[in-house]
Amino acid sequence: MNKLLLTGIIIIGILTLAAVFAPFISPYDPNQINEGSMLMPPSRAHLFGTDSLGRDLFSRMAYGARISLTIGLLAVGISTVVGIFFGSVAGYFGSWADSLIMRFVDIMLCFPTFFLILSVVAILEPSIYNIMIIIGLTNWMGVARLIRAEILSLKEREFIQAEVALGASHPRIIFYHLIPNAVGPVIVSAVLGIAGAILLESGLSFLGLGVQPPTASWGNILIEAKSTLGVAWWITIFPGMAIFVTILGFNFLGEGLKKKIG
Amino acid sequence: MDLLEIRDLNVNFKLGNQEFTAVNGVDLDIKEHETLVLAGQSGSGKTITCLSVTRILPASARIGSGSIKFKGEDLLKLNEDGLRRIRGKEIAYIFQEPVAYLNPVFSVGSQIAEAIMLHQNKPEKEALREAEKLMGLVRIKEPHQRLAAYPHNLSGGMNQRVMIAMALACRPKLLIADEPTTSLDVTTEAEILKLLSELKKTLGFSLLFITHSLSVAHRIADRIAVMYQGKIVEQGSRDEIFGAPEHFHTKELIAAYEKIGKI
Amino acid sequence: MIAYILKRLLGIIPMLIGITLISFLVIHLAPGKPTTIQQALNPKVSLEVRDRLEKLYGLDKPLPVQYFNWLNRFIRFDFGRSFADDRPVTEKILERIPLTLVINIISLFLIFLLAIPIGVKSAVRPGGLFDKSSTAFVFIFFALPGFWLALILMNWLGVQLRLLPVSGIKSLDFEYLGFWGKLMDQAWHLVLPIFVSCVGGLAGLSRYMRQNMMEALEQPYIYTARAKGLSENKVVYKHALRNALLPVVTILGLSIPGLLGGSVIFESLFALPGIGRLFYEAVMMRDYPLIMAELVIGAALTLLGSLMADIGYACVDPRIRYKKQ
Repeated sequence: MNKLLLTGIIIIGILTLAAVFAPFISPYDPNQINEGSMLMPPSRAHLFGTDSLGRDLFSRMAYGARISLTIGLLAVGISTVVGIFFGSVAGYFGSWADSLIMRFVDIMLCFPTFFLILSVVAILEPSIYNIMIIIGLTNWMGVARLIRAEILSLKEREFIQAEVALGASHPRIIFYHLIPNAVGPVIVSAVLGIAGAILLESGLSFLGLGVQPPTASWGNILIEAKSTLGVAWWITIFPGMAIFVTILGFNFLGEGLKKKIG
Repeated sequence: MDLLEIRDLNVNFKLGNQEFTAVNGVDLDIKEHETLVLAGQSGSGKTITCLSVTRILPASARIGSGSIKFKGEDLLKLNEDGLRRIRGKEIAYIFQEPVAYLNPVFSVGSQIAEAIMLHQNKPEKEALREAEKLMGLVRIKEPHQRLAAYPHNLSGGMNQRVMIAMALACRPKLLIADEPTTSLDVTTEAEILKLLSELKKTLGFSLLFITHSLSVAHRIADRIAVMYQGKIVEQGSRDEIFGAPEHFHTKELIAAYEKIGKI
Repeated sequence: MIAYILKRLLGIIPMLIGITLISFLVIHLAPGKPTTIQQALNPKVSLEVRDRLEKLYGLDKPLPVQYFNWLNRFIRFDFGRSFADDRPVTEKILERIPLTLVINIISLFLIFLLAIPIGVKSAVRPGGLFDKSSTAFVFIFFALPGFWLALILMNWLGVQLRLLPVSGIKSLDFEYLGFWGKLMDQAWHLVLPIFVSCVGGLAGLSRYMRQNMMEALEQPYIYTARAKGLSENKVVYKHALRNALLPVVTILGLSIPGLLGGSVIFESLFALPGIGRLFYEAVMMRDYPLIMAELVIGAALTLLGSLMADIGYACVDPRIRYKKQ
């Protein structure tokens, strides 16, 4: 267990606990508007201060952790599944399926991620579910390539050829034998991918095209930071810090896992 | 006084937390104008021994005790500046797989010329002319065309000739050759060995030749030293070693050589 | 070499077609027609006007026909007219491109200028103080959300210290400045945006350079260089560096998608009139012709970038440039 891995686990562990127990650790209702205490700096009553509608920042951020984590996990879940599907079909069946799928991957990789996501959001209207799906469906290409490479190298190994000789069916070979062996790098990629998904989601929310207010997301809390520059530093610092530490945590986790496996 | 006197050389490697001894108290002598073959299997420490002479070792290697006297001067006591005066000028190397040991992004001509410019202080144009002459000396055909060629454009045999030209550019007293023909085919190997012995006669250097093949040793050696697990286990003239081998490992190597049929 | 370039150029054509196909499909994903949403945003538009628009844009025809019509016009660089102000899309894009280009080219230049020495210095003494601290920096800047860094700097340098402008490309008194004044004013406005867009790329490239340099220093030809008696400086900066730099050439071309994506956020944040901000505005207004055009152009530029990366590498690596004799 190296230091990187340990640090990552601790950070993400705390984050997950905060997200899961958000209702219990939030002293206030995150959406409760309180006209008497707008833009209050951090104090004993409000640990992270309040925003321009008097809502407690700490509570909003705790619930925001839920949102960001959920979106990150589910988006990566989707992209991993899609990536495994395309990658294994390409790697296993080869020939025209491989060429076709890899061409498709190449074309998808040509689109700058943000451009593609924003376009789809423009069409389908932002909502938490849409964002998850969109981020998931635009980030599967890396996983696909990984799986394909692993499968191509595994195909030649003896135990696979033994299975083929024994007459095992295609899906069986793919699911029971090939994919489990290729899973190592995919896990690392998924962990790092969660960081990327959270970054994407906060960027989108910051632009107003992600999680829609009044639901709190670290990204959309930062929208107010723009208009309160110099007036309410806590609105800028705390949500951004949360995003930063979360991404750092997942990066540590991913790099730590990489060291352990490779 | 011999040209090179190695006494009680010890070299360790540090890999992570483990230390591993590659060279374990080696004594070796090379006289002027002689060819000494250092024979042994891979991993016996031959390469590390020869790299230690001018201390061009990998970063994880540590020289423990010992002395390496070249023309009476202990090389292990010299600092980097002192060593650089010796490297390439008095002691030169050629290696196995020349295409990997030549820089792929520079032309072969410029790599040879670099050695000349470094030690003889000649300007580039003159150095390139020298390089062309050297390429002729090592029997590269059409040397003028080949000056601008890159290592990947040339065959293994030609690349090895380039390495030899580069090594001999400043007329060193000692040429250390680490398995230079192991990756070449039999015909090319014979040509390179012939080239080396002719150049040795003309230019008068000593040759420390490392190999695991006793057939090569039989062809070119004046004296042979057999290395096994970091130690020299037997030394003697070529006829002594082949005629009356004493150590069991020497006998193993000779047996392998005889099986192949004394090529 | 020429054959290689031609082959690659030919291979681009199916990719471009694929790009246009996917862009078209993405835009037409929505249930209902683009004009429906348009009308939802702008209820003043009556049904007859909507029908007229549909006929005008050929939206009443079946999808494949629409695609071919659109593609037909697209190839002639006729990107249609913006839904927002009815100006030709081409015109709107062209007037915004220069600024984005300037920002990104300067960013790239700075990234290369700084990242390469940092990477090399880290590689030469791995595990040393410089290496450890630069590794820490890389981790931090990788995780730092660019727009957060921008906000913090805007707050500190812009609002509190009043050192740098935080918005737009011109000051209020722009019209009264002389030629140099105008130039400096614009440059001053670009300091913060360029800095922020450099930071991520700097972290990535310096790491990549470090990796390449470390691999180069372990190659066999480094032993030969040392055996020749070359100074350590020559060994590192002549023999190893040349080899380590080869793949870096490709990074130039491959940075394009990242820079384009970043420009959307940064230009919006700093209120800079570039194509990133144009895209954002188009998305907010559901201006489909503009969105489609930028989507395809963005993808095409990325494709071009990767083509240039490949060709650049082929030019620079003698093993590819001069094939076996």
